[in-house]
Amino acid sequence: MKIKSIFTGAVIATLVAASSASAQDVIGYITKSATNAGWMMINQGAQDAAEEEGVTLVSVGPAFQGDLSSQLEVFENLVAQGAKAIGVAPVDSAGIAPAVNDAMNAGIPVIAIDTGVSGADVTSFVATDNQAVAKVQGSVAATLVADGDAIIYVTGNQAQSTGQERRDGFMAGFTAARPNSEVIVVPTEWNSQQAQEGVEAILNSRDDIKMVANAWDGGTMGAKAALENLGYGAGDVKLVGFDGASDAIVAMDAGWVHANTAQMLYQMGYQGIKAAAAAARGEDVAGRIDTGFFLVTPETSSVYKDMVGIK
Amino acid sequence: MADASNPLPKSKIAPQDQFILWMVRFFRAEWSGALLAIIVLGIAIEIATPNTLFFRPSNLMTIMNNSAAIGIVAAGMTLVILTAGIDLSVGSVMGMTAALTGYVASFWGFPPYLAIMTGLAIGMAVGAFNGTLVAYFGMPAFIVTLAGLSIWRGSGHLATSAQATPKLPETFDTFGRYNPFSALRDAYKEGELTGFSQTLGAFIDDNWLNFFRTFQMSMLIFIGFFIIIAILIANTRYGRYVYAIGSNEPGARQAGINTKLYTLITYMICSFCAALGALLFLGRAPYAKSDYGQMWELDAIAAVVIGGTSLFGGRGSLWGTFMGVILLKLINNGLTLAQLNTFWQMVVTGGIILVAVGIDIVRQSKDPRAVRKLLAGVGAFMAFLSLMTPASIWLSAKIGIIEHNASVALREIGTSLAPGQNSRLLSPADVDAYQAAASSTAFGSLLLAILTIVTGVMIFRTTKTATLILAAGFVLMIVPVVIMGYQITAPFLILGAVAIAASAFVGKIFDRARTLQPTG
Repeated sequence: MKIKSIFTGAVIATLVAASSASAQDVIGYITKSATNAGWMMINQGAQDAAEEEGVTLVSVGPAFQGDLSSQLEVFENLVAQGAKAIGVAPVDSAGIAPAVNDAMNAGIPVIAIDTGVSGADVTSFVATDNQAVAKVQGSVAATLVADGDAIIYVTGNQAQSTGQERRDGFMAGFTAARPNSEVIVVPTEWNSQQAQEGVEAILNSRDDIKMVANAWDGGTMGAKAALENLGYGAGDVKLVGFDGASDAIVAMDAGWVHANTAQMLYQMGYQGIKAAAAAARGEDVAGRIDTGFFLVTPETSSVYKDMVGIK
Repeated sequence: MADASNPLPKSKIAPQDQFILWMVRFFRAEWSGALLAIIVLGIAIEIATPNTLFFRPSNLMTIMNNSAAIGIVAAGMTLVILTAGIDLSVGSVMGMTAALTGYVASFWGFPPYLAIMTGLAIGMAVGAFNGTLVAYFGMPAFIVTLAGLSIWRGSGHLATSAQATPKLPETFDTFGRYNPFSALRDAYKEGELTGFSQTLGAFIDDNWLNFFRTFQMSMLIFIGFFIIIAILIANTRYGRYVYAIGSNEPGARQAGINTKLYTLITYMICSFCAALGALLFLGRAPYAKSDYGQMWELDAIAAVVIGGTSLFGGRGSLWGTFMGVILLKLINNGLTLAQLNTFWQMVVTGGIILVAVGIDIVRQSKDPRAVRKLLAGVGAFMAFLSLMTPASIWLSAKIGIIEHNASVALREIGTSLAPGQNSRLLSPADVDAYQAAASSTAFGSLLLAILTIVTGVMIFRTTKTATLILAAGFVLMIVPVVIMGYQITAPFLILGAVAIAASAFVGKIFDRARTLQPTG
């Protein structure tokens, strides 16, 4: 770990040195994950925005998903080495706050991407409103089942604001329309294996489940695998996703998934770094940038695929 | 009266003595702690989930199916730990081989069997690398495999750009979700069968949901593989050498065993198991990806330790690991069915692991006082769980009011509140509701708190009469808690009463067992 952070520090130092020679602004970009499919789209958006703005993007990911300490270290390194602005996707909303405060006090604008910061002010917060989108997901899911039908909801990590908001939003949207339906919860920490095993356990013990709704598309794919493991066919139990990941859209075309609320992931990274570049130049940036969402259904899936470039 | 020094003739053994003998035999097995935990937990979950059938064969087989991949990884880990080593890289090796197997199958056009061979070969190669460094270069296994944990995870991400494989060939299902009966059932449903096979097909179709649906290859390979490895370590020279190296490596070397070679082979088998586990996982998973298997090294080590294998090597059994894996998966499955709060699931999982390992340690000590303490401890744990049912409501209501009062006080002295603090402010109606909740649960909490404390004290100091009175107290406590509406705690209290009552007779049972079997 120590070696790794020294190494990261060296890389950042070199990049900062190299870029100051070419007189480009350096924007730090601290991502949450470099291996998750959704995050790779966000990172791509960030990269493209940096090229467009003519700034140097120093992007650093944590050693593993959810590693707060390495994010804090990287944050401090970026501040110390003179980044002009920092875009950060905090793994922990409250944990990152002290580092954000230090940067803001040093006059470095901080843009929170995807996940907000609690306990510190940021220059701008660029994200989909998770709770509002999840509420739409819940009310759309409600139209797929009758009142009184039992459904499964696969949560994300309940120790993170994203996981909590998606769950609360879904429950609010769904139970408002289907007050008599039982919602059985499968808890996960954004791990598709946990989703698969949990869904399999419940489907096995009761045969009245009509739908599996998911807080993210890793869960959707885990739930699909669980259905396949138990010999269900496409459409026997409806699936509802969140994220609009490409494999979930393929599964939608095959008849498994019936609705998916896609965040504009690419836009999140793109607009986040655009805002960071603008703030670095000293321009005014809106305090909250909502990147919107897209409701993907079998009817709208081709429009969505064209839009985000799934071939 | 029979002479105590001679074993009694069979016909004269009274039923209670036979029970004692049976218990002695049971607890001599290394896997007894895990099995006992599985049985008790299974019964508890069955009681806690009245709407679902936990003990339905199809659910038990699902647990086996989901245990298969991690189970095979843990089997390899058992061998390494028996040699007094450790392999922290198994999770990463599993992730890397899963990703690469899927990658060469879907992007390089390898035929499925060649892809599978590639994956297994990569596993063996990683094992050869780890094993060589440990055995021939004398590097500590902990360090070598800790480095491997990082190296192989990184290599997997690099080789596949951390992208998921779009679609796996169907051959991979042979290692996972393939059901040997599904073809017969399909043929029956199409009406293609006659005679005996038609009867069989009808039987399978009738019992599909209860039994045959989850009769899948994962489970069969899981059991088959454990039988093979169990035979390997119990009946071959290799197996004896593994135990010899683990209990006394210098001695084994002086006895002429090529300890370096056998250590190398053990690490190769372990990584091979990780690769085979990856195949089994792919057989049930939606796609292949390099981030599979995170934290599996810890789950595998937990399963091995729960199964009674010593982390210092030389003592343990493969079937213990089998039980340990099933216990871990059963906790996941059961707590999901019971719909327990996520954060409580984490706490309860840790508690169950402690109890399972506690049973094992007490079992080895063969000390009646330790057994009595363990049983009393289980009783105290049960009292605590009952206590938390009303007390968690009481606590959260009280904490809510404290937070509210603190926020109000802060505001009154003019401090500007952070958003997190503002959200702790309550409306007057909420304050009333919290106060009502606190006062309605106060009496039950107090009653159960007294029970918990008394049981806690009695772990350390008690008499037989006091213990029996306490057990009766557990049973009597059911009446007030049911009146107060906490029926859910009744199973905990009954289990606690049984444990406490049993603890009063531990000494007697031990004495009797010694009389019956002086060698025990």
